[in-house]
Amino acid sequence: MNEQYLSVFIDESKEYIQTLNDSLLRLEKDYQDSEAINETFRALHTLKGMAGTMGFETMSKLCHKMEQLLDKIRSKKIKLDSAMLDRLFVGVDLLEKMIDSIVKSGTDQLPELDVIEFAKGFEILSAETGNKEIAIERDTTGAIVALSDSVERVIAEAVKEGYNAYQMTVTLSEGTQFKAVRMYMVFKAIEDHGGQILSSKPSVEDIEQEKFDREVELIVVIKEEKETLRNMVMSISEIERVTIQDILHAEVRHEPVEKVETEEKKKEKETVKTESVKERRRLTQTVRVDIDKLDNLMNLMGELVISRSRIADILRKYSIKEVDESLSQLNRISLDLQNVVMKIRMVPISFVFNRFPRMVRDVAKQLNKEINFIVEGEDTELDRTFVEDIGEPILHMLRNAIDHGIESKEERLAKGKPPVGTVVLSARHEGNNVVIEVRDDGRGIDRAAVVKKAIEKGLITEAQAESMPDEKVYEFLLMPGFSTKSEATELSGRGVGLDVVKSVVESLNGTVSIESIKNKGTTVTVRLPLTLAIIQALLVKINNLVYAIPIANIDSTLNISKEQIQKIQDRQVSVIRGEIIPIVRLWDVLELPHQSEDSIYNTVIVRVGNRKYGLAVDTLIGQEDIVIKSLGKLFSDVRIFSGGAILGDGSIALILDVANIA
Amino acid sequence: MAKRVLIVDDAAFMRMLLKDIITKAGYEVVGEAANGVEAVEKYKELKPDVVTMDITMPEMNGIDAIKKIREFAPDAKIIVCSAMGQQAMVVEAIQAGAKDFIVKPFQHSRVVEALQKIG
Repeated sequence: MNEQYLSVFIDESKEYIQTLNDSLLRLEKDYQDSEAINETFRALHTLKGMAGTMGFETMSKLCHKMEQLLDKIRSKKIKLDSAMLDRLFVGVDLLEKMIDSIVKSGTDQLPELDVIEFAKGFEILSAETGNKEIAIERDTTGAIVALSDSVERVIAEAVKEGYNAYQMTVTLSEGTQFKAVRMYMVFKAIEDHGGQILSSKPSVEDIEQEKFDREVELIVVIKEEKETLRNMVMSISEIERVTIQDILHAEVRHEPVEKVETEEKKKEKETVKTESVKERRRLTQTVRVDIDKLDNLMNLMGELVISRSRIADILRKYSIKEVDESLSQLNRISLDLQNVVMKIRMVPISFVFNRFPRMVRDVAKQLNKEINFIVEGEDTELDRTFVEDIGEPILHMLRNAIDHGIESKEERLAKGKPPVGTVVLSARHEGNNVVIEVRDDGRGIDRAAVVKKAIEKGLITEAQAESMPDEKVYEFLLMPGFSTKSEATELSGRGVGLDVVKSVVESLNGTVSIESIKNKGTTVTVRLPLTLAIIQALLVKINNLVYAIPIANIDSTLNISKEQIQKIQDRQVSVIRGEIIPIVRLWDVLELPHQSEDSIYNTVIVRVGNRKYGLAVDTLIGQEDIVIKSLGKLFSDVRIFSGGAILGDGSIALILDVANIA
Repeated sequence: MAKRVLIVDDAAFMRMLLKDIITKAGYEVVGEAANGVEAVEKYKELKPDVVTMDITMPEMNGIDAIKKIREFAPDAKIIVCSAMGQQAMVVEAIQAGAKDFIVKPFQHSRVVEALQKIG
């Protein structure tokens, strides 16, 4: 089977498995949720067809058996119960495993398990009432005649907007060559005239592979009249016959039902409808692009930014008026371009979040805890590069929250807390950062235990511990090999603590912080930059060497005279707008000789998480877009630089990692 | 007035064959081109009613030629000529603006049908 089809098949199957998990979770909350039942049914049906097309018979069969059960539930022949639901969950897991196995070894066979035997279990569940044969008969043949709900909804909505809905049969001439291309021309003609093809039989995939004889049935919505539509299609070569029938029943059938419904429900339904029409439209307008191409685009964008600043640099020497104007235009355009490229690379964080509800459910069940899991800000967008790496740390944070954070039911009741624990996973944009938070209302972190362990390990003295602020104490938890739970549980222990979270997040140029109140709960916050490739930076100079400070980290810049700097507990600080802010002389950090006798320091106030400090430098040069280049493996233990950048004049500036300077 | 046709194909044999079919069907062949670059030039010069365009050609292939021609003549009526197994190319050509396609080896009736349908 064609490689290209396979990758699309795998991608799409994963999406459907996600849909299945989501809808089953919804069903678990409400067994009567007919939307969820339909969604599950449809996803299984589509998956079955896809797997069958690709020749994965076992997978197709399992889908079929699960679908049969769902069909029975849908038609209210049998009632959904928790045993069925559990089995369905297991079924979905098996499907996922099959996909994994297809990715790895190209087969849907699972060595450790007889899937067919397992699938039969669904048959037994479905067989509790009669009429079995009929149900099977219908769903294998009736793809179009029984319009699926979503198609029906789109039709109803389209009719309201003045479209006509038709069922049309297109027959190709005998001996037509390139049947798929011919049908493509039919599709294109309809779409070029503002029409939409809602479904086809055989399916589009089958048509593309020429898996049809001469006849194709389509459900079409279009503004054109029947005759115009027929002429349009007939004007294409090698079309023998076109028959078109109106579809009326969709709207009619919905009408009486809706009247019974309350106003509110009606509104709700309507929004769903418009969404589905919109969704349909959007679907036809998206393109799948290989991520490598996007990476390449970003790289080229980076090169463009470098060349642009180089040209700007050269031209500045000559100050030619005419050039200035076009140069500023070039600036604007490349900035726009940069934004567009960044946006293309952005994906909603729901890509990552989607799999967590299921995982939380499983973990909670295993630990016999009840968890109310809330996800907020799934629409928050972040760079595609993060999506792959950030899942693991979040998973870890969630497990920690459920396992260590949330207490057992008895303990919670004894404390006067609601028995059901709450875990919130949220995401939001904050300036140039994406902030991801895992919040629980559990027991909180035991400060004393952390301190005790830190002293045991010789990290701090007792005296130091006393004056240490809470955040500093909790930071110990992020250190490799530091775990306060003496017995590692099967889930989150395993000797790896939050340090995994920290190392992954830091490799993405992000930060982790922990806040906790005893018996109230813990919040772990991860901050990530919006993108890794191009950032805005402030260029500063020390001894004629140029360094870059990411603008995202900068609070303000100001001048401080030497007299304003005081010494408190052997730290240099200055009172700035009523705040006591530590001052760091950058040349001391970099161990550079410093001759300047200026009594006034140019100071950049930087912010890292909740803390601020001032960096004294020689000169501020200005703001520029820089393309971050890694320093390479040899310098991976250099903590105070996060990378280097090539400047407009070809020289190199090191980028300061302000989180690790002070 | 008979429709004026421009034939584009790198093989002289194919051009001859097509010219024969087209002329017999009552159309006038006003010019021939052996590659995409020539096709674009000839199109500008002759402004034919219909073009038959081979896909695989040296210098500039048929798809690029279609795009070029449609830049200055968005209504150009172009029929692509394809060999067996070039489905994907044909789709690309249609996306580029070709109105119909014919498949080699040419069937007499198909060529005529394509010319008639394109109007």
